[in-house]
Amino acid sequence: MARPRKVFFRRRKVCKFCADKIDYIDYKDVKLLQQFIPERSKILPRRISGTCARHQRFLQQAIKRARHLALIPFTTD
Amino acid sequence: MRTYELIFVVDPRVSDEDVVTMTQEYKQMIAHGGSEITSEENWGRRKLAYPIEKLTEGKYVLLNIQSQGGKTSLPEVEHRMRQNDKILRYLTVRTDEDLKRAARRKPSPSAGSPSASSEPAGDEDLDTGEEI
Repeated sequence: MARPRKVFFRRRKVCKFCADKIDYIDYKDVKLLQQFIPERSKILPRRISGTCARHQRFLQQAIKRARHLALIPFTTD
Repeated sequence: MRTYELIFVVDPRVSDEDVVTMTQEYKQMIAHGGSEITSEENWGRRKLAYPIEKLTEGKYVLLNIQSQGGKTSLPEVEHRMRQNDKILRYLTVRTDEDLKRAARRKPSPSAGSPSASSEPAGDEDLDTGEEI
């Protein structure tokens, strides 16, 4: 309302998993996981993806399992 | 009652028939331990995301297991897999709790009453009759 000058437009980020009502993140779902591993194959941080803490935790677990099975890479170089 | 997922990656140089017999062997071990194999998936040859032992491909096999409570022979199966150098990777995951949790949250807005309302603490088998 009474805000001085610069008003940043920031798109409100919504947790993808909350929005889609996904409650079990499957480590075998490579397509889904790939959305959260950008170029260098690091796990996309919450501050960028907007994932809620709970789902980020599940996601992290799933990604690590998938990495172990060589479904997704640890790194790319 | 617990459910598990057992997934393993076999050396691609092993023939398909041998993969089947190998899987059969493990299935027998699991059945011997009093668990049941509910389903089985053979993904076949798949590219690995990174080389393992200089191999770029692997054959994936997935087993869905249901234990009847109490003991399972999964530790022995894992032990055998570790010693088998034809198996590049394996992973056992217990899935019942996660799936139950997911199932509990999903139907809540539509049907509230039939879901499991009694949730006493304890790790013993609660037969809620909920199919997943």
